[in-house]
Amino acid sequence: MNMKKLIGLVAAGAMMSGSVYADAIGYVTKSGTNAGWMMINQGAADAASEAGVDLITVGPSFQGDLSSQLEVFENLLAQGVKAIGIAPVDSSGIAPAVNDAMEAGVAVVAIDTGVNGADVTSFVATDNYAVAKVQGAVAATLVNDGDAIIYVTGNQAQSTGQERRNGFMEAFKTARPNSEILEVPTEWNSAQAQEGVEAILNSREDIKMVANAWDGGTMGAKAAMENLGLSAGDVKLVGFDGATDAIEAMEEGWVHADTAQMLYQMGYQGIKAAVEAAQGKDVAPRIDTGFFLVTPSTAGAYKDLIGIK
Amino acid sequence: MTATNVQDKAISHLVSFFRKEWSGAFLAIIILAVAIELVTDGKPFFHPTNLMTILNNSAAIGVVAGGMTLVILAAGIDLSVGSVMGMVAAVTGYIVSYWGLPPWMAIMCGLALGALIGGIHGTLVAYIGMPAFIVTLAGLSVWRGSAHLSTGAQATPKLPDTFDLFGRYNPFSGLRADFKAGELSGFMEPIGAFIDAHWMGFFRTFQMSMIIFIVFFILLAVVISNMRIGRYIYAIGSNEQGSRQAGINTKMYTMYTYLICSMGAALGAMLFLGRAPYAKSDYGQMWELDAIAAVVIGGTSLFGGRGTVIGTFMGVILLKLINNGLTLAQLETFWQMVVTGLIILVAVGIDIVRQSKSAEKVQRMLGVVAVVLALFAALTPVSALVSSVINLHEHNSMVAMQLAGEKLAAYQNARLLDETALAALGATISDTWLMSLAMLALVAGGGFAAWRMDRSIAHVVSVLYFVVAIGLVFSGMAAAAPLLILGSFAMLGSSFVPYMFARARELNEA
Repeated sequence: MNMKKLIGLVAAGAMMSGSVYADAIGYVTKSGTNAGWMMINQGAADAASEAGVDLITVGPSFQGDLSSQLEVFENLLAQGVKAIGIAPVDSSGIAPAVNDAMEAGVAVVAIDTGVNGADVTSFVATDNYAVAKVQGAVAATLVNDGDAIIYVTGNQAQSTGQERRNGFMEAFKTARPNSEILEVPTEWNSAQAQEGVEAILNSREDIKMVANAWDGGTMGAKAAMENLGLSAGDVKLVGFDGATDAIEAMEEGWVHADTAQMLYQMGYQGIKAAVEAAQGKDVAPRIDTGFFLVTPSTAGAYKDLIGIK
Repeated sequence: MTATNVQDKAISHLVSFFRKEWSGAFLAIIILAVAIELVTDGKPFFHPTNLMTILNNSAAIGVVAGGMTLVILAAGIDLSVGSVMGMVAAVTGYIVSYWGLPPWMAIMCGLALGALIGGIHGTLVAYIGMPAFIVTLAGLSVWRGSAHLSTGAQATPKLPDTFDLFGRYNPFSGLRADFKAGELSGFMEPIGAFIDAHWMGFFRTFQMSMIIFIVFFILLAVVISNMRIGRYIYAIGSNEQGSRQAGINTKMYTMYTYLICSMGAALGAMLFLGRAPYAKSDYGQMWELDAIAAVVIGGTSLFGGRGTVIGTFMGVILLKLINNGLTLAQLETFWQMVVTGLIILVAVGIDIVRQSKSAEKVQRMLGVVAVVLALFAALTPVSALVSSVINLHEHNSMVAMQLAGEKLAAYQNARLLDETALAALGATISDTWLMSLAMLALVAGGGFAAWRMDRSIAHVVSVLYFVVAIGLVFSGMAAAAPLLILGSFAMLGSSFVPYMFARARELNEA
């Protein structure tokens, strides 16, 4: 809700001084409070200040709310921005609005999540499916064939959650065909992850590993282990995102592998592409921001790379 | 003692059970727990450590719902509890991590913050006369925003061990450690040995969360039923004007309910921090809905004046039991959402019928329960059949579009199937259509019996349920059979309801 007020203020301000924002770039984020999204947003802000353009950042009133994201998207169009970087909360739901914008000559750069059913100027993201396959393959090396594991899913009504789950399952099942995979469904909520993992770990003592679709789940799973009096390494944890707290937990021996998306790069490259498109330059239609496989031996290098002290 | 005597005793026990507001939630808990027990493998669902895990994870939302009960009993509502819980959790974690305050001081500050917020809500509602819905809806937004602002929406580092005292701390862990180190002597030694031997089977999950949760509800129940504030809250909830005329300071007591509710949210924040990985300002989202649902499932009227604290306790347990059980049963995500809603409907449905005190309605409800159970059982073959038929139809439509020369989009292409998939669909259809038809006929039969309320029809349908259940076991769908057996009992039971009501009335008069 607080986000909505912010949006209102921004929109009101923009309408009063329409011409000031003529060269501005719009940036529609997915969340302002999720740790991973804050890194993406930081990258976006830095790219804009480097290029010397104004960045109007707006977001949905809560994570996953399509209708308020559509609303802020149309407000940005009405203000006459030249380009919009958007992280769609719903790949198909946003498509008609994206189509309108593209037809009106506004460049649209999809960040993190693609748009399904409309063309965009550029799509800047890690390939979730490909990275999740790496995660699944690495996770498989941490357990023996036949060991039971838990997979904490993200929201299965969103493409990010679906791709991460599908990629993980495919790679893991290929490598460990006889392992049982128990699922803990969540809507990207670490409390759901903690409760679900705690319930299963308590009822089954043969679980060897918990793999997670995002690092909020990893931290929830770690809390579940602590709640049951388990110590680091009793059940292996595998993360996704490369969030700071998960990397710290890796150094304490809880987390054994984490496929990090280059989150900062995603925001940075996305807004850079949007600025270039607004200036009439050619932009690659697909920019892959890559990933980093963090293991206890590469954790130091990863921390240097993204600047954790 | 004669047979009739035993029967009469049973009937009067049953009647006094259903007089309790919490009987609907309790019955739903039992039915659900039995159903989960039947479909899960691994450690039994009724295992004490599993039940304690459910209690541990109910603690935080439970305390929040406990405070909410008072507000609703006084015919108010508090939509802000989730945000208040999130704000108190975030601020407490923040000042302990970055201001260097001792944990106990930070916890006191957090509880005081809860009291302050509750005081503001209560004053606006009771003394200024603003609608509770609006005040707390505004609070929902304001406190969440303030939480994000004051902590930068960043997670704190791991909190000090003091917070474990509200959550994962196990009072027996010290004793066990001493025993393992061989430091116990005298009569303490066998106690330590006993704890160590039963650690995995019992003591591991005996944690502070659960203890605080239970003690909190006992205290709340004692206060509500024995102290003046409890009586006044019920009075205000059932007739505010009358209470005022009777000399009750309604404004002050209404204010108190919001104060206690927000303090409950603050205590809930501490309990949550005791089990969570860190403190963060987005905790407690949508908790207002869970808390209100728990209160209502527990038999408390949303219009105030009627309900119990124990009912809320049951309501919370039911909600967490659904989560825990459906996770252990590994039901598919989207089905979990549907089933959660249906279970809540059934729990509240039992409560509504219970209040009606009419034999006919109870009989009809049991019939409906049997129909619903048959419907659930029917989902196994019918959903497989329906989705196969739909997939086949979509494939055929796409082929037709292709032949007509239309260009297919990516998601339309995805509907096209290869030979093996088509063969698999055909096999599913031919395997399930007969059973699906039989199950749907059973649902219709159950519906007919519930509508006619005829004794012999009910008996026939009850036997049919049993027969189909056995059929299910032999056609490889054994998981659905327990539902039908339960349905068979519900149908059979429905035919005895009028007799039981008549007998209960006689007993009452005698």
